[in-house]
Amino acid sequence: MPLKTVATLKVQRLEILSPDGRADAALMPKLSAELILKMYRLMMQIRAFDERAIKLQRQGRLGTYPMITGQEATQCVPPLCLKPSDWVVPTYRGGGVYFARGMEMRYALLYWAGDDRGTRFPDGSNDMIFSIPVGTHLTQVAGLAWGEKLKKTGGVALTYCGDGTSSKGDLHEALTFAGQFKLPAVYIIENNGWAISVPRRRQAASETLAQKAWGYGMPGLQVDGNDAFAVYKAVSEAVARARKGQGPTLIECETYRMSHHTTADDAGRYRPQAELEAWKKKDPISRLRKYLESKKLWDDKKEKQLADETALWIDGEVKAYESFPAPNPLNMFADNYAHAPWHLIEQRAELEDVLRFKGGAQVLTQLPPAEGRFP
Amino acid sequence: MNPKTAAKTPAPSAAPAAALLNLIQAVNQALDLAMAKDPRVMILGEDVGVNGGVFRATDGLWKKYGEDRVVDTPLAEIGIMGCAIGLALNGLRPVAEIQFDGFLPAVLDQVVCHLGRLRSRSRGKLGVPLVLRAPHGGLIHAPEHHSESPEAYFCHTPGVKVVIPSTPYDAKGLLLAAIEDPDPVVFFEPKLLYRSARGEVPSGHYTVPIGKARLMQEGKDITLVTYGAMTVTCEKAAERLTKEDNASVEILDLRTLAPLDLDAILASVGKTGRCVIAHEAPNSGSWAAEISALISERGLLRLLAPVQRVGSWDIRMPLFRLEQYYIPDADRVVLAARKALTF
Repeated sequence: MPLKTVATLKVQRLEILSPDGRADAALMPKLSAELILKMYRLMMQIRAFDERAIKLQRQGRLGTYPMITGQEATQCVPPLCLKPSDWVVPTYRGGGVYFARGMEMRYALLYWAGDDRGTRFPDGSNDMIFSIPVGTHLTQVAGLAWGEKLKKTGGVALTYCGDGTSSKGDLHEALTFAGQFKLPAVYIIENNGWAISVPRRRQAASETLAQKAWGYGMPGLQVDGNDAFAVYKAVSEAVARARKGQGPTLIECETYRMSHHTTADDAGRYRPQAELEAWKKKDPISRLRKYLESKKLWDDKKEKQLADETALWIDGEVKAYESFPAPNPLNMFADNYAHAPWHLIEQRAELEDVLRFKGGAQVLTQLPPAEGRFP
Repeated sequence: MNPKTAAKTPAPSAAPAAALLNLIQAVNQALDLAMAKDPRVMILGEDVGVNGGVFRATDGLWKKYGEDRVVDTPLAEIGIMGCAIGLALNGLRPVAEIQFDGFLPAVLDQVVCHLGRLRSRSRGKLGVPLVLRAPHGGLIHAPEHHSESPEAYFCHTPGVKVVIPSTPYDAKGLLLAAIEDPDPVVFFEPKLLYRSARGEVPSGHYTVPIGKARLMQEGKDITLVTYGAMTVTCEKAAERLTKEDNASVEILDLRTLAPLDLDAILASVGKTGRCVIAHEAPNSGSWAAEISALISERGLLRLLAPVQRVGSWDIRMPLFRLEQYYIPDADRVVLAARKALTF
């Protein structure tokens, strides 16, 4: 018997806004000028924030920081397709996502300064803290989506992982569950070309990461991740499908990590400079600006005004971040359990003794009040 | 050439017999020697090749031995661990690197269910001679999940050896011994000591036996049993106990956690009658608990005071602004030692 073709897979790529700022009218989603301007502002602001954060780290005013630069469209646009009640779980390189969801960035600085008080997410949203062991959140997101399905809320869970993380078993299991139970989930692979020093081609032998979707019975799409309109169209359609009970979608956003892995990394050791230069020409912000200018929605004056406002905003966030007093060491005992067991009550008291041993009998009264719930 | 300068230049000679190295350089030298000596030795892990490892443990080795022997793997810890087991079963001598201690829990499925059991399950037919290297511990202001001390999970696993050096000399000698060992060895590297610990390291091949502790300092009144970066903390504590309490302090650096050098522990505690076990992991269910149990089972009548354990609190590792209050410091070791000394 001759071999039969039982399935044919077609991997598609969506591009709408070209690097020179021209949009494909046939594919262009309906977007108000106001929304496009919002995208642009968010992307500009988060890039400026990123630049300031790097400076702060270099000055010893911040710990190790993962840069966002280059990935602004992939990060700032998908949250605009969601309701506050939907779930969002970014990666650790997800400052742009949290920002677009309304996070006060003083908390992002606080987190990367090694302060647990930085794990605070926008009020009224269902955002969750990212996972540092990469990809371990992906099955949890299937669970979040499952909960929305069971509660019949129409809610959606959207999450990110990197091209490196797409190699981990976690994604396989997450997509297996999401596909099997037809969960209202959107999985974005934020393919930024590099997992620290390992390029995308060394992760999977497949031509795209989007095509992984077919193994799990869900649609997959590759998107130009530096194209805000394509990202918006792909994600909003995936979210609409999820809300209607039509199941999950996998979206590969192909973008580029324009900077190092983190401030502790030196991409010069492994990355060809020519590759970086080529990607600079595909910058997500400059192409959106060209589009806005062509539609007479933006000009140098507005650009300057936004830059000034942004600088002021960042100054305020940095100031707010640096005005947090040193945390009370006793804080770490709070909120480990809903009700602290005996040994934590003992150990917290022992830490008080240690603090008195170090700083004298009065030391506890000189500390800021302990935060969190204990016992 | 200026003859004056030429006269000052020493004649070329053989490589120096020893050099002052830090701990990461010692690890690098051990890997280099092992690869030169045995073509079965290969390295696999994330960023170990072109980048030379995020801590530079494998710096230069990709260039020297090529991409088939120093392999940048996809980002998948279970894949690294499982492949290392398969490679070892099939005659290679893999040295797998897991980039950070916080990423080790992922490999526990392979370690617990397979790594330590394959020799026994195959009735001795198969061995898994691999080394799993990972950084260990905190106090370098690292991000979350980069400062963990997960040794107890591995020590608790039958069939697996667990090693943690605290000097460059031991790092090189123990790593060479681990690579040559017929059984799997988990090799922890205290990241606080990567660059701060410096010492003379012979340039040639040598091994430090697995399963033997190192007597760091002799004393009569109390024994500090410790390992990894906590050895430095214990040295500071011992200095203060000597000065402020007039105590004679013995310090034992375990170097190998599994199998423990029980003879060395009992000999020391039998002599001093007092013991503080200091380590970075949360105390409950820690390897210090096992050591304490062994001392009470086999040396109870030699004890003059209850064994004291000094570990981190039984809560998760906080972000780094509070890590110095979480991981025991010299003050906490001193306080515990005083409890034992004044019991």
